[in-house]
Amino acid sequence: MFQLCSKLCRENFVKAQVELKYLNLFAVLVNLFPSWNRFSSHCAGLGGERDSGYDSLRRRMSVLDRLTQTHPVWLLLSVSEEDADRILSRQPPGVFLVRKSTALQRKVLSVRLQEGQSAAPISHVPIRESQYTFSLDRSGISFADLFRLVSFYCISRDVLPFTLKLPEAIASAKTQKELEEVAQLGAGFWDSALCSQRRSSPRPRRPLSRTLSPQRTDRNREVGGRHSSGPLCFVSPLFLRHHQELISSSLGNERDTEQIKLSGKSKPPPPRPPPPRSMPRRRPAPPPPGPPAVTTRPKTMPEPVTVAVKQQQQPPSRRPAPARPSAGTKQTSPAKTATSPSNPPPPRPKKPDLEAHRCHIALDDETIAKALSRAKLPPCQPPPPLPSDVLLENHAGSRRAERGRQRLSDMSMSTSSSDSLEYSQSPGFSLGLAPGPGPLNHQDPVEDTSEDDDDGEEEEEEDYGVGLEADLEMRLRPSFKSRRRRVAVSLGGGSFILPRALKGRFRKVSGMLSSFMTPERRAIKKIAELSRDKSSYFGSLVQDYISFVQENRSCHTTGGDFLQTLRQFLTQMKAYLRQSSELDPPIESLIPEDQIDQVLEKSMHKCVLKPLKGVIEVVLHSFQVNSGTWQRLKENLALAKTKRPQELGVDGAVPPDPLAIEKIRHKFLNMRKMYSPEKKVSLLLRVCKLIYTIMQDNSGRMYGADDFLPMLTYVLAQCDMPELDTEIQYMMELLDPSLLQGEGGYYLTSAYGAMALIKNFQEEQAARVLSSEARNTLHQWHRRRTAQRSAPSVDDLQNFLRVALQDGDSGCTAKTLMVHPYTTTEEVCSLCAYKLKIDDPENFALFLVSEDSRQQLAPDTHPQRIKAELHSRPRPHVFHFLYRRTLDLNLCIPASAVRTGTGTGNGLHEE
Amino acid sequence: MAIRELKVCLLGDTGVGKSSIVCRFVQDHFDHNISPTIGASFLTKTVPCGNELHKFLIWDTAGQERFHSLAPMYYRGSAAAVIVYDITKLDSFQTLKKWVKELKEHGPEDIVVAIAGNKNDLGDIREVPMKEAKEFAESIAAIFIETSARNAVNVEELFQKISKQIPPLENAEVDSNESFKLTRQPAPSTRRCC
Repeated sequence: MFQLCSKLCRENFVKAQVELKYLNLFAVLVNLFPSWNRFSSHCAGLGGERDSGYDSLRRRMSVLDRLTQTHPVWLLLSVSEEDADRILSRQPPGVFLVRKSTALQRKVLSVRLQEGQSAAPISHVPIRESQYTFSLDRSGISFADLFRLVSFYCISRDVLPFTLKLPEAIASAKTQKELEEVAQLGAGFWDSALCSQRRSSPRPRRPLSRTLSPQRTDRNREVGGRHSSGPLCFVSPLFLRHHQELISSSLGNERDTEQIKLSGKSKPPPPRPPPPRSMPRRRPAPPPPGPPAVTTRPKTMPEPVTVAVKQQQQPPSRRPAPARPSAGTKQTSPAKTATSPSNPPPPRPKKPDLEAHRCHIALDDETIAKALSRAKLPPCQPPPPLPSDVLLENHAGSRRAERGRQRLSDMSMSTSSSDSLEYSQSPGFSLGLAPGPGPLNHQDPVEDTSEDDDDGEEEEEEDYGVGLEADLEMRLRPSFKSRRRRVAVSLGGGSFILPRALKGRFRKVSGMLSSFMTPERRAIKKIAELSRDKSSYFGSLVQDYISFVQENRSCHTTGGDFLQTLRQFLTQMKAYLRQSSELDPPIESLIPEDQIDQVLEKSMHKCVLKPLKGVIEVVLHSFQVNSGTWQRLKENLALAKTKRPQELGVDGAVPPDPLAIEKIRHKFLNMRKMYSPEKKVSLLLRVCKLIYTIMQDNSGRMYGADDFLPMLTYVLAQCDMPELDTEIQYMMELLDPSLLQGEGGYYLTSAYGAMALIKNFQEEQAARVLSSEARNTLHQWHRRRTAQRSAPSVDDLQNFLRVALQDGDSGCTAKTLMVHPYTTTEEVCSLCAYKLKIDDPENFALFLVSEDSRQQLAPDTHPQRIKAELHSRPRPHVFHFLYRRTLDLNLCIPASAVRTGTGTGNGLHEE
Repeated sequence: MAIRELKVCLLGDTGVGKSSIVCRFVQDHFDHNISPTIGASFLTKTVPCGNELHKFLIWDTAGQERFHSLAPMYYRGSAAAVIVYDITKLDSFQTLKKWVKELKEHGPEDIVVAIAGNKNDLGDIREVPMKEAKEFAESIAAIFIETSARNAVNVEELFQKISKQIPPLENAEVDSNESFKLTRQPAPSTRRCC
C-alpha cells in the first residue's frame, strides 16, 4: 500500500523535496492506523459483504458512532475527580471518562490503569484545547472534536500506556437500540446492572479495534462513522518528523498484537446509520400546555419528560428505526446508500473536467499563485477537498489504481491550494491531509451558499486587507474567501524567504487550519436546525420569540430599546445553549472552550437575526420617522454634503473622489443586505480601509484619528445615506460585546461619532449640544453593553415566569415556570395545578400581587405580557404572581416568597 | 501565558504626535506575523509583563475641538489613557490639563493616566518646562515621560510604565476583559419580556 501510495504521490508531487515530506506523512499516518490495510485484505478474503441483519447492523457501528451515541455515559463534564475514581476503580483497565477538572479548569481524560502499573489506579490526562483542536497533553496529534480524540485513543495508545477501552456493554452492543439503552442511563450506567453484567461476561479485554474494525467496503470509516466528515486527526508535519520513529515503533507493537487477535474473529462493523440527533432522555419538554416540565433551570427540564417518553416507547418520529440504513441527518443521507455494506464502494460521481483541470494547475508549484488568484474569484467553485477514501481506496489493490490515481490528484490539489472547504458532509474518512469530500460532496459549496446566504450576499470581494480577520479579534471566519485570503497571505507574506519545500508545508498547514473551520460550521448548522425544531425547548423559545417580535412591533419606545431587547435575547439564548443539554452532542465536545462563545454567537445571528432582519429594519425606520429624527437627519446630511473636506476638519489628506465615493456607497449598500452585525462591521472596516488607502495616496504617511475622523465624516456626508444611521445603530447594539474593544469596535465608534456630528450639523453650537446629548447616550450605551457582559442567569429568560404557589397551610413556594408570551392565565393555572398536584384546580386562580393590590387574573389574559407591561413602566413596581385558592384571601404572603417575575428591574431601567 | 487585552486611549491636541508615538511603538519591533491593520488610528501591540501578556488595543482620538464631545466613546472602558502634549506648544499642555480633569470626572475609575511630552528632540524651542510637567503629573499620580516619536526615545518605556501600573489579575476568572471590570454594573440587567 505504501508503495502504491508513494507511486501515486510521485506522479503528483513534482518536486522531490515536497514529495518526500508527504511520503513521510502518508507513511506515518498509515502507521497510525495499521488496522486499515490489515483489515482490508483480511476482510476481503472473508467475503464480509454478505452479511445482513444484525451482524451487518452491528458492523455498521464504528467506534466513533458508539462513542457519539453513548456520550451521556462517558462524557461526564461535571463529575468530580473522586467520583471518577470511584466509577473507574470498578472498571477494567482502559475504561475511561472525560470530565472537567475544576482544579485545572480543563477537560481531562480519566483512565483506569492496570493494577500496580502506577501508584494511582486512575490516570487523569489533561486535554489541551488549542484554538481549533483537542489533543491530549504531551501528544502531537490533535483532533477536531472530543469524539474523534477518544475514538483515536481507542485504537492507538499514542501517549497513553495502552489503548482506551469502551465499557463492554457499549463495545459489544449489536444494535443501535442497545446503545440507546446504555445512553439513556447516562452516568447511572456505571452503577447499573448493564455495566456490571457485561463486564463479567466471558469476553474480557477484547480489543476494540477488532470489534469495531471496519470491513472492506467501509474500512475507511472505522473511526469516521457517522460524522464521517473529514480528518479524524491532524498531525503536525513537524511533530511527525521528530516523532516518526517513536510513533511507528509504538504502533508497531500494537500492530503485532492486533494481528494475533485478528485471527480469532472478523466481521468488523461498518458504520451504521446515524442515531437520532438527540437522545430521548435528553429530550426537552414540549412547551405547555401539556404535562409541562417546570423547574428553575432548563437543564433539568427534560427530566420529567424522560419518563413520559420512555413510557411511550419513544415516538418513532424521533428515532429512526435501527434498520433504516439511510436514516440520519438529512445532509448525509445520500451518503448512506453509498455506505451500505452490500455495495462496493460507490462510484464517485465524475468530477467536472473543470475541476480536474484546476487541480492540476493548482498542483504545479509554479502556478500556485495563479490558482490562488483564481480561487479568489467568487463564481469559481471551490476545489473539492481530498476525497475521504483516497488513500484507503488505493490500498485495495491495483485494480483500482486508476481511479485512485485520479483521486489522489484531487487530493493533492486540495492540499496544495489549501482551499479545502467543508468537510462536514463528507462520508468518508481522510487522513487529515486535507478535508475529504465524499462522492456526494459536490453539493457542499452549493449547500453552503444556500445555507448561509449571507456568504452569497457578501460575495463582493475587495481587497480590504488581511488584517481584517485579525481585526475581529483574530477570529477565523469560516467563509471560503477569507480562508483563501489567509492562504494567499501565508504564501505572499512568507514565500520570499521560504524554500519551496517549506512553502508546501505552509500550505499544508493552512489547509488543515481551514478544515478545522468545519466543526464550527457543523455546530452552527446543528443549532440552526434545533432552533427550527419547535418540539425542542430551544426551538420553541426561538420561534416564539421570532413570531412575537414580528407581531408586536410596537411594544418598544425607541429603536435602541428594541435592539437592546433583541441583544439580550441573543445573550440569554447563548447562555441557555451553554447550560442546556439539548444540544446533542454537547457543544463542548465539538468546539474548543475558547471558541464556543463565538460559535454560539454566530448561530444566534443565524437563528434569530436572519429571519428578523426585515422586521428590524422596518421597526427602526419607523421609529426614526415618527420621532422626526429621519427628517432632521436628511436635512443635516444634505447640508453637510455641500461642505468641502476642509470645512469638516480634513487637513492635508487626499479625499476620495466621486468615483471612490460611489464605490463606498456600493459597499454600504451591501452592508445593508447582511443580517450579521459582525459581517456588517467587517464591511465597514473595508470602507475604512479604502478611505485610508486613498488618504495615504502612496505617501506612506501614517494618518491617525486626527485625520481619519474628519475624513470619515466627510465620506459619510458625501455618501448621503440617511439609512446608515440605523445600520450603525444595529451594529452598535447587536455586535457581540466582546468585539467592541477591538478594531471593529473602534471604527464602529468612529462611524457613530461621525454620524452624530452630521446629525447635529445644523445646530448652531453643534459641539456643545452634542456633548451633552451624545455623552449621555454614549454613557448609557456603554453601561448597557458592559453590563451585559455578565451572563444572565437562566432565570432571566423571558419565557420563564416566577410564580408563588400557595396551597393551604403548606406555606408558600416559588417556582419558575416556563410560560410563553401567548400562554394564557388558564394554562398557567393548569400548569401550577399539575406542579402542585392540586386535586381541585377549579378552586385555584392566579393573582397579580403588588405592593398595594391583589388582582385575580382572568383566564384569557397573558401573564407574560402583563409582566412585560409592568416591567416597561417607568418606575418598575414590585410585583409577583401568586397561585392560590380563590377563597380565603386574607392570608398574607410570606415576604420570602415575594419575588418578582424575573428578578428586579435594575440595569436597563436606569435610563 | 494569559493574554490580557488592554484598551488604551490616546488623547491630546491635534498635531502633538499622538499617532506618531503609537506608530513608533508598534512599528519598532515590527512583527511580520502581525497582519497589517486598517489604519494608524487603531493599532495593537502585545508586550510581555510579568507572567502575563499585555495586548494593547490603542484607540487614537481626533484632537480637534469639534471632536472633543466624542471622546467619551473612546476612553470608556479604557484601562489606561495616554495624554500627549507637545513640549514646544504651551497650548497643548493646557489642553492636557483639561483632559486630565475630564478623565477624573467622567473617565473609568482606576484608569491609568500617562502624560507624554512629545517632540523631546526639539528641546531648543521648548515652551513647557519639564519640571512643571513632571510636578503636574506627580500631583495627579500620573506616569510622566518625555518622548520623541521621531527619534524613538522613551516610546517603549512609556508603555512599559503603563504595563507595570496595570494591576495583575486577582484570579483566573477575570480574563482579557479586565478593563471592563472597571465600570461594570453590579448586576446583570433584566429587560421586560417582549
